[in-house]
Amino acid sequence: MERSFFAKNPSALWFLLGLSLFTIVVTILSEASGTALISTSFLKTLGKTLCLCLVAIAMDVVWGYCGILSLGHFAFFGIGGYAIGMWLMYARTAEIVVTSLENATLPPTPDEITNAIGGQIFGVVGSSDFPVIWAFSHSLTLQLLAVVLVPGLLALVFGWLAFRSRVTGVYLSILTQAMTLALSLYFFQNDTGLRGNNGLSGLQNIPGLEAQSQATVSLWLFWASAVALGAGYVLFAWIVSGKLGSVIRAIRDNEARVRFLGYHVEGYKLFVFTITAIVAGIAGALYYPQAGIINPAEIAPIASIYLAVWVAIGGRGRLYGAVIGAAVVSLMSSWFTGGGAPDINLGFYVINWTDWWLVLLGLTFVAVTLFFPKGIGGLFDLLQKRKGDAP
Amino acid sequence: MRHVFLALIMLFGATLAASAQTLQPIIQSHVEEIASPSRNSVGVALDDLVASGLPQVTDFLEQWVEKNVWQSGDGTFFIAAETDNVLTLTDIDTGEQRTAPAEGFTQLKPNGGVRRVIGTALVQFQLSDPDLTRRETAVASIARRPEAAQMAPLLASIDGETDAALKTRKIQLANLLSARFAQTPTDRIAAIDSLATDTSVEVRAVLNQILSTSSGVALSEPDSNTAAIIDPFLEPDVSYATLVEAGLAPARQTAAEIKGALEANIVDGRIGGLPLVQMDNPDARVAAYGALAADGKVPELITESARDAALSSHLFFELYDEPNPDITQAAENALASVETRVAAAQTVDLTLDALSLASIFFLAAIGLAITFGVMGVINMAHGEFIMMGAYTGYVVQLFIPNYTVSILVALPLAFAVTFAAGVVMERLVIRRLYHRPLETLLATFGISIALQQIAKNVFGTQARPLTSPDWLAGAWIVNDVIQISFIRIAIFVMALIFLALIIYILKRTRLGLEVRAVTQNPGMASSMGINPNRINMMTFGLGSGIAGIAGVAIGLYAKVTSEMGSDYIVQSFMTVVVGGVGNVWGTLAGAAMIGFGQKGIEWLNPSNTLAAQTYMILFVILFIQFRPKGIVALKGRAAGD
Amino acid sequence: MTIRNTLFSSFSALAFAASGTAAFAECADPIKVGVLHSLSGTMAISETTLKDTMLMLIAQQNAAGGVLGCQIEAVVVDPASDWPLFAEKARELLTVHETDVIFGNWTSVSRKSVLPVIEELNGLLFYPVQYEGEESSRNVFYTGAAPNQQAIPAVDYFLEELGVEKFALLGTDYVYPRTTNNILEQYLTDNGIAADDIFVNYTPFGHSDWATIVADVMALGEDGKQVGVISTINGDANIGFYKELAAAGISADDIPVVAFSVGEEELSGLDTTNLVGHLAAWNYFMSADSGANTAFIESWQAFAGEDRVTNDPMEAHYIGFNMWVAAVEAAGTTDVDAVREAMYGQEFPNLTGGTAVMLPNHHLAKPVLIGEITADGQFDIISQTTEVPGDAWTDFLPDSAVLVSDWKDLGCGMYNTETETCVQLTSNY
Repeated sequence: MERSFFAKNPSALWFLLGLSLFTIVVTILSEASGTALISTSFLKTLGKTLCLCLVAIAMDVVWGYCGILSLGHFAFFGIGGYAIGMWLMYARTAEIVVTSLENATLPPTPDEITNAIGGQIFGVVGSSDFPVIWAFSHSLTLQLLAVVLVPGLLALVFGWLAFRSRVTGVYLSILTQAMTLALSLYFFQNDTGLRGNNGLSGLQNIPGLEAQSQATVSLWLFWASAVALGAGYVLFAWIVSGKLGSVIRAIRDNEARVRFLGYHVEGYKLFVFTITAIVAGIAGALYYPQAGIINPAEIAPIASIYLAVWVAIGGRGRLYGAVIGAAVVSLMSSWFTGGGAPDINLGFYVINWTDWWLVLLGLTFVAVTLFFPKGIGGLFDLLQKRKGDAP
Repeated sequence: MRHVFLALIMLFGATLAASAQTLQPIIQSHVEEIASPSRNSVGVALDDLVASGLPQVTDFLEQWVEKNVWQSGDGTFFIAAETDNVLTLTDIDTGEQRTAPAEGFTQLKPNGGVRRVIGTALVQFQLSDPDLTRRETAVASIARRPEAAQMAPLLASIDGETDAALKTRKIQLANLLSARFAQTPTDRIAAIDSLATDTSVEVRAVLNQILSTSSGVALSEPDSNTAAIIDPFLEPDVSYATLVEAGLAPARQTAAEIKGALEANIVDGRIGGLPLVQMDNPDARVAAYGALAADGKVPELITESARDAALSSHLFFELYDEPNPDITQAAENALASVETRVAAAQTVDLTLDALSLASIFFLAAIGLAITFGVMGVINMAHGEFIMMGAYTGYVVQLFIPNYTVSILVALPLAFAVTFAAGVVMERLVIRRLYHRPLETLLATFGISIALQQIAKNVFGTQARPLTSPDWLAGAWIVNDVIQISFIRIAIFVMALIFLALIIYILKRTRLGLEVRAVTQNPGMASSMGINPNRINMMTFGLGSGIAGIAGVAIGLYAKVTSEMGSDYIVQSFMTVVVGGVGNVWGTLAGAAMIGFGQKGIEWLNPSNTLAAQTYMILFVILFIQFRPKGIVALKGRAAGD
Repeated sequence: MTIRNTLFSSFSALAFAASGTAAFAECADPIKVGVLHSLSGTMAISETTLKDTMLMLIAQQNAAGGVLGCQIEAVVVDPASDWPLFAEKARELLTVHETDVIFGNWTSVSRKSVLPVIEELNGLLFYPVQYEGEESSRNVFYTGAAPNQQAIPAVDYFLEELGVEKFALLGTDYVYPRTTNNILEQYLTDNGIAADDIFVNYTPFGHSDWATIVADVMALGEDGKQVGVISTINGDANIGFYKELAAAGISADDIPVVAFSVGEEELSGLDTTNLVGHLAAWNYFMSADSGANTAFIESWQAFAGEDRVTNDPMEAHYIGFNMWVAAVEAAGTTDVDAVREAMYGQEFPNLTGGTAVMLPNHHLAKPVLIGEITADGQFDIISQTTEVPGDAWTDFLPDSAVLVSDWKDLGCGMYNTETETCVQLTSNY
């Protein structure tokens, strides 16, 4: 079974090999190993990129394979981040509060402890009461469950409603975008209880690991991201390769025909929509402890569109395409906007890439859509074809 | 009679002035209050100045308000005007003029509160002044700070008032003043009754001030003008606090006080006999406190039942500050009548606001109603066309300083610019993607990011001004409740014009016929001799051009930034989808639903505008799930797929 | 070091010297000042000005001989108004570029994003913008106003000078207005304003539909009380707000508006003829009449352009940078802890007159100014207090009233005076 899977999916095998090699190299070069050829801030960037690759392959499955252009998967990513962020904030603050209350004359009551934690967390937004939404934040297990369940349930309910009413194509895209907008506005409100525009911060300080340096913690999170990406890749490769995958692709190509063949189209779509939302949530839960802060701006509709851009540039309908797209575009973005790219002097005008990168990205994207619908991944096809043509 | 009396006063004042030489010494005797005045202390100085009766006083006070009074290093005050660091000084008394460098002089800058007090002091001089502006200033000052003393001069000035509008205003104000300050209750009640049909804020202010109450507590009802008896158990803690304040009950211990008392009474690691380690239990704390109270070390704990007992043995009430019950009754009646009218007016105002919001949404979405609704092309760069239109307006204003002319130039120019942009985009991008709607979405999104960033690079991220001409600057004011700014009315009218125009083009012109033919069946249309490429290009250009004009309008009422497009894009798509694709009426219905819905939710929760937007979007999402074709659904073959 | 630089120069941010690279021979390790202001994205408009201010100040200092005999090198990075990126760039500044001090941030959320990194790596940050307080980090010097240096004096002005009895607190929905309004609500209640007489409203960033809210504010006057508006509305949203105010014909004499986030820069996007008389409270106005200010404006306009305005956060950087230079000279090193110790008690003349003093709670003592908007987009200063010491923890919220910050003697930024314990050494983020 195992062998037949990799035999069917040679790309998965290659991908896992490449990912392992990459992880090992990065580990050796990291500050934690002593060589310190990769700075911790760059290590964090690499780890975050792996998480972005994971959400990109989820996007690829739902869009490239199933034909649902969801403009909401980055919202699921953000929800995963919020879910884990709540525990990180609560647990970190609880430690500080309990230590500071230790020397109090009277041993603190549970209420006093909760109030003190609330004061620390919500003091910055002018409140000290715990909102209902934080009811489970003391428990890592429950919040980890929330990482999976909240995006999953949200996708399930939303998908069920939408697919049931046969909302398809661009209408569905607009609807998912509206959902994302509603979510980001919801998170943005102070009354929601998630600290409004400030969001959750200081997430890089993992409770219980204070003794470890950020170099070590970042490396561990990098490993976790690599493992998650590997597992996600195998999971999706398995889903899209079997009979299930054939049905899903058929739905993309002609939904009505598949329905006439007796397949329960809505069920398949719902399954894909939900499972990818869950994986997006997991990716988010790994991403934000590395980013250190999550706030509503992260899940604005534009972020989800960028996700689609990565997948389109990388190449739809192939998992490695999504990985390439996410990695290349997000790293290029930070290179260009970080001032790494040299300015181009046209004589009458100096092109400063910090300002012009988005213009380049936008136009590249238009060009890719128009002329290379297969994206960067399409180049591999060309190579293979040439190899095949060669005598 | 009154006139004669006033004239006498003036005469008397004039003789005084002749004997008391000049104004400067009087000012100098209040040098502190005048150099750095405060609302609460300046009154003394003003009273003295006014009492002097000198003719220069009026001018001095007016110049002071206008910040034209300067003080020299030796403390002398001058009326002065500054140009390029040189002061033209006018002596307060002699009117003698000279120039001096501004060095060594300090400008007096009375703050808003002081200016208001000075305004009140000036009232008596200005009310009958030949200059209309001065009289208006005086009347405005009375309206801002109504005082009993102003009644007489105001009444006296009414007869001689020549300006009709100001006369009406004076009578109105006099009425307001008599409602509060008239001598006899009959006069006051008559004035109060006459206010019952007025919804203005001023009238409500007067009535509410007559009806002002103070709350009290006692063992039995006092013998005075009672406004209401309050049930203390509605807010028991608040009521108990009143009780404590009145000295009728001991204060309840706060959690901190209990904690402090416990901490102060630790004996050998035990409190009231209970071990310290147990104190993490709230019940144990109460028990320990009880034990301490039993020993007499701390005051008895006031429990909830003790609080309730204290509450029920007292009577809580509110008393009118006005002792005459007839007057308060009349005011209550008048206020009730006013409030009903205000409520009705507020509904009208809310409807106007909702209409205005709906017309803004409609204007932002109407271009989409054509490109997306009729042609089925998803254009994510639509918002950026709105932005381009707005920036066109901004650029035009840079070159044409006259706002009216510049707007008249900007509207067609914005149409032309975005029409051209739309045509270019259609030819280069959209035409290649007619059968791949999802890819159109993405490609136009790419254009959208690029355009937005280009706008940032060219115009900067700062909001740019787009100023409306003066005749659009004010508001249409029906009364203090119902008012709407002219610019919003203009947007509403513009929305109607576009609606009519588009309906006309689509239904009554050759172009419209061809557009409909091409959208319904391009193959058949082209075999009938219609060039579908040309029609698509024209239609897309038209939709984009309208977005450009909408941009000018939106920029006029809000702001011009590179991100203004993205503020509207999602909402616009929702407007079109929720209304029903393929139908301009549908877009109208969608805009109306979203506009009215959002204002409705805002009305329910006025302190949180963001929540209204969130819930409105959620509502729209659910609405689409249950009515996927929108409000105005096309039926039959026109419905397409 | 060199390997790292070559390997990752491509990913590292643009670094350039402000005035050539004429480092002196004895300065093998040049003194580096990090500038962490957004040069792109939504905050760029405000923050780019501060970046330019820093470059000007550094150039001036270098012309005057640098610090410790070395030239100062500015390291400018662009966190692009992206809050997580602020943390990333701060780490980069401290570990890759090894800067000695960072001047940066505008929004509170960006500061909260940077805090854990600065504290972990023991960096030094100068934060130049007015903020909501309730924070005192060992590694941050707050050169902008705390609420008691801006909001409270402005409210006092409303209460005492304008006789306002009913307040509308209008704000954009984010942390600064939320906390500030919270403090103000408590402060007003303490001053005898009933809860019913305080109207609070929050709107999203960039809000444009102000008709209803302005109507609500007008209706507040219906019980005959003087109404005043305290505005913590941020950025672009102000344009729509003031336009609607002007359209409704609300003059400053009827309903005065005092804004905490509207300065000279913001007014340049508006036609101010209808806003004359409305107020703003800051620690600095460009119209301040002093020799130092005239010189500052002159050098700024020579550096950045004739028509450029100056504003309050620029003065904060001006004071902060000069104090830092003095502290480094006093300490004889750029070592963070030594400089921190040397900072306490540093004095530097304000541009508005008087002297700013660095307090042990990492805040400045500065005068509070209230200005009226004039027709030419400037402010006419009508009230100026003596220096007010910045208070990290407000006295008007019960939870914070018991807290003090004293890094000099107590060595703690969150010290509970009731229990006499240090609540925590790191800060809330």
